[in-house]
Formats: sequence, C-alpha cells, structure tokens
Amino acid sequence: MNAVVKLRDPTPEAAAVQRTRKAAPSDLAGKTVGLLDIGKMRGAEYIDRLEALLQARGVLTKRYAKPTNTRTAPVPTLQAVATECDAVIIALSDCGSCTSCSTHDLNDLDLRGIPGVSVLTTEFRDAFAKQCGAIGYAGASVFVPHPMQNRTTAELHAFADASVDEVLERLR
Amino acid sequence: MEAVPDFRRHCPMSRVDGILAFVKRECETCALVHPLLARLRAAGVPIRGVVQDDPGHFADLAPLDDTALEESFRHDIETVPTLVRIEGGIETGRVVGWQRDEWRDLLGDASIGEGMPAWQPGCGSKSREPGVHERLVVRYGDAGLASREIEVGEWDDPMEACFERGWTDGLPVVPPTDERILRMLAGTRRLPHEVVGRVPPNLAACTVEKVAINAVMAGCKPEYMPVVLAALETALDPIFTMHGLLCTTCFSGPVIVVNGPIAKRIGMNWGINALGQGNRANATIGRALQLIVRNVGGGVPGELDRATLGGPGKYTFCFAEDETDPTWEPLSVARGIAPGRSAVTLFQGDGIQGFIDQRSRTPEEITRSFAMSLAAVGHPKLCQFTNAMLVLSAEHYAIYRNAGWDRARITKELHAALLRPGTELVQGAQGVGEGIDPKRAGEAVPKFWEEGLLIVRAGGQAGLFSAILAGWTGGRFRHESQPVTREIVE
Repeated sequence: MNAVVKLRDPTPEAAAVQRTRKAAPSDLAGKTVGLLDIGKMRGAEYIDRLEALLQARGVLTKRYAKPTNTRTAPVPTLQAVATECDAVIIALSDCGSCTSCSTHDLNDLDLRGIPGVSVLTTEFRDAFAKQCGAIGYAGASVFVPHPMQNRTTAELHAFADASVDEVLERLR
Repeated sequence: MEAVPDFRRHCPMSRVDGILAFVKRECETCALVHPLLARLRAAGVPIRGVVQDDPGHFADLAPLDDTALEESFRHDIETVPTLVRIEGGIETGRVVGWQRDEWRDLLGDASIGEGMPAWQPGCGSKSREPGVHERLVVRYGDAGLASREIEVGEWDDPMEACFERGWTDGLPVVPPTDERILRMLAGTRRLPHEVVGRVPPNLAACTVEKVAINAVMAGCKPEYMPVVLAALETALDPIFTMHGLLCTTCFSGPVIVVNGPIAKRIGMNWGINALGQGNRANATIGRALQLIVRNVGGGVPGELDRATLGGPGKYTFCFAEDETDPTWEPLSVARGIAPGRSAVTLFQGDGIQGFIDQRSRTPEEITRSFAMSLAAVGHPKLCQFTNAMLVLSAEHYAIYRNAGWDRARITKELHAALLRPGTELVQGAQGVGEGIDPKRAGEAVPKFWEEGLLIVRAGGQAGLFSAILAGWTGGRFRHESQPVTREIVE
C-alpha cells in the first residue's frame, strides 16, 4: 500500500496515530451481539459454534451475512447491525481482500457506535495491522489457526471453543 | 554568516561551472536579453539557459528544462532573467533583471549590451507564483513542520481519512497537507513552534503550527490567521473559562465578534445574514477555534463536551460588527480598545432568540419591548444568572439614533427597564418553582450584571428584527467568568 498523500496531525499527538475503538458494554449478558458472517467458505461453521457458546453465557445473538467477502458490507447490513446490536463479531477472514474489507466493516460499525472484534486466521495478522494503520483505527482482533479451509467441522468448532473467551475479552 | 549553498548536492543539472541564465518565454526582458545571451554563448561564454516554460524557444542557449522549477527553487530565483555565476559548484555572483553595468561586471566584458537600454526590470519567476513556492518547498525542500505525518493509503480518500480519525466536527474538513499548512503559516509572522497556550480540556500545548493545521481544516484563508490566533488567545484567557464552557451541559459555545479594519480587509460579513451562513471568513474563523478545541484540546462531544443539547453555534459562530454608522461606538471601543484598532470579543453564548418589534416608534417603547424579550434569557425568573448579547439591527438602532440615544444611554435604559420586583421572581412565585433566592423578595432585581449586557450592531438595512444571544450559566459567577476583548496583533 503506497502512501501518496501525507497529512499532518492536528492533535497534540498525545495518543497513538490510530483512533481508539469504542468500548463495549462491560457486561454482555442480556445484550445483543451481532455475528456478521463475511461470506467466506467454512466461516459459518465456526460462527455456528461461537453463537451456541455465546448463548450459553447469556448473550443474545443475531446473525448477519455479507453477500461477498470481497467487498465491504452493504450499507443496509451495517445499518441493521448498528440498529439492532450492542456489539459485533465479524468472522472469519482468511485472505487478503476479506481481511481488508472486514476491517473496514469493523471501523464503519465502530463509527456508528458499535464496538466489535474481527476474527481472522493467523496468516493475516500483519494484513489486519496494516489495514488498521492505513485507516487510523485501533481495531480489535482474535486469530485462529491458518489454514481453515481444509479443516473438519469438528476442528472448526474446536477453534470456536478455544477462542470464545478471547473474543469476549477483546470485545470489552 | 550564512552558509553558501552547495548546489552540486541538489542540482545535478547545474553542477557544471559557468553562467546560468534563468529565463522564461513569456517575459519581455528575457526576450530583450535572449539575442545577447545567444551571441555570447556562440562566442564561447559558458552560458546555459535554465528555462521555466518553453526550452525549445531558447534552443540556442543549450537550455536546461526547468519546467518542474526545481533549479529555480534551489537557486531561490525570484525574478527572470537572473544570471547566476557558478564556480567550483558554488554561486559566486548574481544579477537580477537586465542591468547593463552589472552584467558587464559579472561577465567581465565591458562591451556587452551596446545599444541596449541601461536597465530594464525583470518579470516574476514562475517558482514564485501564488501557491507555487509552497508546493516546491514540499517537493524539493524541507517543509520544517514538526507535526506527526499521517500517511493516507493510495486508494483512500484524504477527506474520509480525516473523518475516520475523528478530526472533524461532522462536516468535511480540508485535508491538512504540508503545502496548505505552509500557505496558512504565511498568514502570520509568528513562528510555527511558538506555543500559543494550553487548550482545555486536556490542557494540551497548542503551537502556531497546530493552529495553522486546524485553520486549514476549517477552510480558512491565510489572511484570517491573525484573527484565529487572537480568538484562540482570547478563549484561553482564564477569565473566559473556555474549559468550563466546552464541557458544559448547557448550550453555549464561544461567539466571536470582530471589530476594526481587519474585518473589512478580510471580507467579513456584518450586513445581511451576518449571523448566518455564506461568508467564508465568518464561517471558518469560528470553526477553526472549535476544531482547535476538539483536536488539540480533546473537547469531543459525548466525551468531555457534555452538552445536553448543544446548538448549531457550536459548529461556528463568528461575525463582524457594523461600524459604518459613525454615531455608533463599536463594541471593542466600549470595552477599552483604541478606535481604529482591530479586536476580537469572545462571548459565551447560545444560539439566537429572534426579537420582533415592528410597531414601536420611540426609544422608550422599543426599550421596554427589548426588556420583555431580554427578561426571558435563560428563564424569565432567573436574574444575574447569565450575561446576554443584543445584536441590534439597523432599523431598530435608527429609532435610538434619531432620538439621540448612544450606546451608553441605550445600555443604561435597558438595565433600568429590566428591573423587576423580587416578589414576582422568587422561587415558587407565579406558580413556578424556578426563580431567584426568596430572600430577595423585597428588592428591585436587575436581570443582568451591570457589565453583563453586550450590545453589537449587525444585520441588513431592512427588517425590524434584532437578535438576543443568551449567555452561558457560568456568567452567574460574576467575577469568575466574563466575556473577553483583545486586540488583534498582525
């Protein structure tokens, strides 16, 4: 990503370059968490299990899906999440374009007042950091093992089991 | 002593010793000297043209193509033609324009220029055209700015980047590029690193450079800088209580009134729609102050700006006073600034409350009428609780002027008309809980502190409409929070 325009910071530079993300409710019990499926194959299996785990902890959930992982979410989808949820989990990015687009979605929802966390595979740790840097947003992320496309459903469920605590932790 | 610039480091094209002749086709003086330069070069004088616009036109001068203006910038050319003598990679002589004797000295030939005029001034260098120099500084030089650089991705929109970083008031801002910041800094003689003050709520040090960045974002022209700087310094005067004003749950924000010659010079509006939209200076000076409070101070709505409702004036609220009527004493003069000097007055104010009176004919009538509306400021039963600003329109002022009433008389009579019996105003009176201290039931109670009613003249010539700006509730602490007037230093 080549930087072609350079701006100067109008702030006293006491904070990091990246905008701090919105804080989530301190207790999610009884709150609604949106689960935004970015549309990547196999992602739904991870989300299914994550949803069951959240519900078991008293968190209300609502499912949303993007028509394609290769573009940012349609505005009506973002508006629906912003209207109906207290926080959002975006999953599951395991490629460059879906990492970039889902990070924009995360930022967009944050600007609408909905704090969130993005779930990605470990291979895209750097891409997520770079995209956050480019848009000036300190986004929250949780990483599960890469690759995920060749996993069994049981393995994807195990990813959810292993990551649910961290997802909830990063949401706070 | 200033170091002699070593052009070899920066200017690979002009590292060869000889005479560089900076020219452009569209310059008459360049046209005058062109044949002479060509003859000298043909005779073996090591002259090369450095051409700013059309190298082909100067083909007989073995031209260096300087359409990118790098050479002109690095040699700091202000006028064409300019001859620069380079020896050993450094400049050892220079002549600006056509000056026959100096050309003879520089070239060491007492015979050149026979039959030509002794002197003809040159034209402006293209590297010095408006806006160009700052662009060249950014491209080839050192902008000398201290603020952190923020890179925007190749595919990202800089305007959106400003939104995403939370740098805006909700409206688009002009992206603060080095070029624009340098142009803005040219609007003041103050140095970029100079600290103007500490901006609340975070009490962050604000340099002139940060002021310029935010002024760029607000849409200011460089010539507004003295007003923006004065407004900021005034806002940071402790008695103005900017800290409390920006954090308040009330509606108020800083209202800026500009007096004196600078208002006309920078094209401010005091006439039709003076308190409204449409004038760049009015709109952007007020906005710049608010962006500084937001971006430098950290006064972000919902965080430390806790206004219950806020008001549209918190985007920007700045106007000039109408000083065209010599019978009217300007606000700044009434507040101690010498006549003819430029000044800003900052008032802690809300949005406007319209005042309509199309029937009153005498100064006594209109005064009673104003008093009825002014009594409603904040709450009709609250007194000495806020200040107020009355923006007096031309037609309403005419009623006073025709009767020979000046500012002092109007102010005095308004205060007198605003005296009311305490029994009507105490808490619980008239079946309303709000009100003044019951202990004051026996007093005749003034609505405002003696110094708490500011009168300003503005507005179009037509319309029996004036405006009242309610003051902030911080004004009830008479000696702790006051409007402030300060001269604008240019």
